[in-house]
Amino acid sequence: MLDAQVIANQTTLAELVEIVFADQAATRAAIERLLDLALIWESTGGLRPLSGVADALRGDDAAGVSGLRPMSPDPASTSEIAARITTLSPHGLALLEHLLANGGEGRTGTARRTVSVADAATPVEELIAHRLLVPRDGDLLVVPGEVGIALRGGHTTTSRRDEIPALAVTERAAALIEQTAGGAAFDVVRRIELLLDHWGLVPPGVLRGGGLAVRDLKAAALELQVTTSEAGLLIEIASAAGLVTNATDPAGSEVWLPTDSFDTWAAGSVAERWVALVIAWLDSTRLPSLIGTKDPGGKTWNALAPDLSSTMAPESRMLALNTLSELPDNAVLATGTGIASLVERVAWLRPRRPAVHRDLVAAAIHEAGLLGLVGAGGLSAAGRAVIEHDHDTALAAIAPHLPQSVDHVLLQADLTAVAPGPLETELARTLHLLADVESRGGATVYRFTPGSVRRAFDAGWSALEVHEFVRSVSRTAVPQPLTYLVDDVARTFGTVRVGHAEAFLRADDEATLTEVLHHDKADTLGLRRIAPTVLISSTPLDILLPRLRELGVAPVVEAPDGTVRIARRDLLRARRPRSPRTHSAGQARAQATVAAVVTAIRSGDLATASRPAVPTTATTPSSALAALREAIESGASVMIGYVDNHGASSDRVVDPLRLDGGQLSAHDHRSDDIRLFSVHRITGVTPLISGRP
Amino acid sequence: MNDGPLIVQSDKTLLLEVDHERASECRKAIAPFAELERSPEHIHTYRLTPLGLWNARAAGHDAEQVVDALLTFSRYAVPHALLVDIAETMGRYGRLRLEKHPVHGLVLSSTDRPVLEEVLRAKKVAGMLGNRIDDDSVVVHSSERGNLKQALLKLGWPAEDFAGYVDGEAHPIALAEDGWSLRAYQREAVESFWHGGSGVVVLPCGAGKTLVGAAAMAQAQATTLILVTNTVSARQWKDELIRRTSLTEDEIGEYSGSVKEVRPVTIATYQVLTTRRKGVYTHLELLDARDWGLIVYDEVHLLPAPIFRMTANLQARRRIGLTATLVREDGREGEVFSLIGPKRYDAPWKDIEAQGWIAPADCVEVRVTLPQGQRLAYATAEPEERYRLASCTHTKIDVVRRLVDHHQGQPTLVIGQYIDQLDELAELLDAPVIKGETPVKERQRLFDAFRSGELSLLVVSKVANFSIDLPSAEVAIQVSGSFGSRQEEAQRLGRLLRPKSEGKSAHFYTVVARDTVDADFAQNRQRFLAEQGYAYRIVDADDLPSPA
Repeated sequence: MLDAQVIANQTTLAELVEIVFADQAATRAAIERLLDLALIWESTGGLRPLSGVADALRGDDAAGVSGLRPMSPDPASTSEIAARITTLSPHGLALLEHLLANGGEGRTGTARRTVSVADAATPVEELIAHRLLVPRDGDLLVVPGEVGIALRGGHTTTSRRDEIPALAVTERAAALIEQTAGGAAFDVVRRIELLLDHWGLVPPGVLRGGGLAVRDLKAAALELQVTTSEAGLLIEIASAAGLVTNATDPAGSEVWLPTDSFDTWAAGSVAERWVALVIAWLDSTRLPSLIGTKDPGGKTWNALAPDLSSTMAPESRMLALNTLSELPDNAVLATGTGIASLVERVAWLRPRRPAVHRDLVAAAIHEAGLLGLVGAGGLSAAGRAVIEHDHDTALAAIAPHLPQSVDHVLLQADLTAVAPGPLETELARTLHLLADVESRGGATVYRFTPGSVRRAFDAGWSALEVHEFVRSVSRTAVPQPLTYLVDDVARTFGTVRVGHAEAFLRADDEATLTEVLHHDKADTLGLRRIAPTVLISSTPLDILLPRLRELGVAPVVEAPDGTVRIARRDLLRARRPRSPRTHSAGQARAQATVAAVVTAIRSGDLATASRPAVPTTATTPSSALAALREAIESGASVMIGYVDNHGASSDRVVDPLRLDGGQLSAHDHRSDDIRLFSVHRITGVTPLISGRP
Repeated sequence: MNDGPLIVQSDKTLLLEVDHERASECRKAIAPFAELERSPEHIHTYRLTPLGLWNARAAGHDAEQVVDALLTFSRYAVPHALLVDIAETMGRYGRLRLEKHPVHGLVLSSTDRPVLEEVLRAKKVAGMLGNRIDDDSVVVHSSERGNLKQALLKLGWPAEDFAGYVDGEAHPIALAEDGWSLRAYQREAVESFWHGGSGVVVLPCGAGKTLVGAAAMAQAQATTLILVTNTVSARQWKDELIRRTSLTEDEIGEYSGSVKEVRPVTIATYQVLTTRRKGVYTHLELLDARDWGLIVYDEVHLLPAPIFRMTANLQARRRIGLTATLVREDGREGEVFSLIGPKRYDAPWKDIEAQGWIAPADCVEVRVTLPQGQRLAYATAEPEERYRLASCTHTKIDVVRRLVDHHQGQPTLVIGQYIDQLDELAELLDAPVIKGETPVKERQRLFDAFRSGELSLLVVSKVANFSIDLPSAEVAIQVSGSFGSRQEEAQRLGRLLRPKSEGKSAHFYTVVARDTVDADFAQNRQRFLAEQGYAYRIVDADDLPSPA
């Protein structure tokens, strides 16, 4: 309506009523309302939109809701335009309709901007000539409003605007809606708990961009037995509810971890937990429906990616659910066509929303179904209460439809335990330790295996406790095979023991060991008897040995292969230092000088001999490093240009040995010793063709 | 919340609470489409499989009925995805039809053109199909009827076979119901088989499968080829047929290693059919020797793969498969479905036991401890030797002797895998032994003696696993088995389940060496028993009553 006013710009009431495709009385009423709101006003020339309204309505320079442009200032009469349209060639007409359907503007391209009808060579030029397409600033061409109206049969829109799009509905019993919704609600709570329990043990990493890796999403979907898109939704909801966040794990890497509020949440009743989740979902700006799709840049959206949100999301959810709440009792959206019709209805109610909004509405209904706000296509009682922000009613409404949690299992002779409903959290965790889960759903099937029972023993359970536990949770008699299984595992559990010892003492004579063990001074040695002829000690061998000698025993040391090792210490030797001062100064100096001079001359010769004909152009640091590494690997000698700490530059021939910490350790031919060279002082590296001298 | 007995899991298993008041009603509703996987004492597990759903389709159930049954009995909400999946899977059956065309002969046709196009492009069916007749149908080479059905099943578009059957050479056969009559479930089994054309009847051991076969023959009134596992069972079939039907000795032929007769009713062993000389199946002509009107497969779950291939060419004849279990250790259930036919009748063991047709059994696992010396030998043995070592321990012999003494006077079978062990047992127990090398005549004599009560103790190897009718056996002692074969366990237990006089219950002992692979395998086999609803007890060898 307002759109029509903007298109018409200044017009009479009668004209305006004429071009709006709706019941006339309703249109007049709408005009009255707009006048009251002062969005349009009565000027001397007729009704006009308030300045600024047009801009606000159209946004920046785009077409309005109906896709029509404002009329030209002095429009030709309707009949004249109609006549012009009829004379168009089929190409021209097709082009015009295409333009109209796509926002009413185009670019001139190669078309001339002023042509006569006779001259028109292309459909564009033909339209321009007929003044059905009007050039604007730049090379922009627009379809003026009056042409659009004429093409749409005298109205601004092609369909009636006062008809609310009908929703496709079918009949469903209210009980079925509630039951389905209750089942879904329970599944959501159970799955989020399961996932976060799992993540608490093996947290998935945070991507550098901040999301969850596709691989982790798939793993989560597998764990939960749902599709990846459903898993994405669950993860997003958990995050929105503050149950999971990114944090640093003990190893220092970024991971997604359950928060402390997860524990608080997990302690609540299923209904409370569900309400917390759906509130978080309703208010969340996240867009879980986009996970796995490509963003405009062609990158796949990851779950929990920081940018995956839109401020439109909460509003579209409320709008979708509110629309759904208008359905009468027992009426639900029809399978298949229902969601599409709801999207149409919402688009009619909020015509100015961009096209993505439609996808959001469809996604909202779908997600609400998974969450249990909507069951079998109808809003559940609890869902209705949630959108009315009446959380207590919601709690009361959902509770009876959730499966009752049970406190017992049925044990069977095939070593399975079936929990015929959701188990109480604590019980479920214990059973999870004692048995492996075979099948999940409304009920859970656990299987006891030797491995699972051993796991419980590892966690500190005793056979007696296991027996006691299964007896207490079982509503039926404990089958004998299960008792045997537990006893069998208990019998073999711990038959082999592993421990730490720094040293052992072995003697064929038990008395000797007893004597050592009970010696007054033996307390500090950490001795323990593990067999009549074996003691172990927590004291390392090199301390133990002299202490034992002090105690008066004469031990011999066994090598790892069991042979007796002679207790003589290895003699230590160091390399003779090259300091000339060790000898008489003069002699040493003379010796050193001669040797050094010869070495220096030789190495200088080598340097000269291998110096390339072309002077070494200073190599880049990276290529220098590469050349050094290569030399290390091949064991070749290289000539390096080196600037020492005094700023003197020299060429050295070296055999590089190791490169780390910004330093090259190499055998320097001039000094005939291992030297360290700072890599940043190396000006160039030239491989030597000849081998080492 | 609905207070139904059924819990539908998202992994397509159905849990049925047996003690629930609506349990039996629910069982009836879900049995047509769900495979009973386990039936321990409290909760039975059924599984929804594509084969099961297609079996249901073949039996005339539609997706709506299946979904309705689930919704009616389910305690909790049924996962939506599961319902969609059921509808989709069931919709796949019958999109393709094999039909007889008056002009073109065998034709594959479809009402769903994209499906036909998809199938025509599949590599697997290339060469089986001839010219396209029109958009919706294509000629099938008549020799490929079986292969095509098999290939289509693999593609996930099982075809419904409407091409009908040849009547075969007529031959009058009638049941001689003098002093006995078909049990209700046997009659139902035959009816549903005949109605479906071809297919498999699943009945527990001892429930009278032979009679179902005989009744099917009486229904067909045509020459019949019966395929059985071995010669002894062939003789039993023959005796049973002479006793229960109007057939005379001259009308029934045996086609085995020793005798090769082709008569209106011919009983052949799997073995003779699969014998090859120079790579050629020499006895294949038997299949074409007469214009058979019915083919009976005994113990379908043991059908060797070559017979599957031969069967592929017999699609124009009516086929009935008889078995105690559709579980095949080789996982070829799909071939049974496509080549012999869908499951037509199924009755769980416990149900028939409850009706008093098979004897209840008391299953006991006796655990022996290896003596120290053998434990060491076991610990250091090569992995492939371990099972033999553990299962042949001498301590078992003592236990067997005590058990035999305990059941003094009751007909007892001692069953084992290893011949040495059996020989040793036989010598110690002073009982005859039947093993692979025992001549058929001798076997027959011993079995007869056992049946008549002359002999109360028999040591048998695995030759006795199948199809040997020893209705009088009351005690079976299993000393070793072929590793963890579940099917073997079912067969051995089956020996005992023939109904007993005075409603006595049978005893099934398994002697197992503790802490060895023997125990591990035993666990696997016993899990099967437990899943069949036979709760077993574990007893220590030391706790057994000592010999008097």
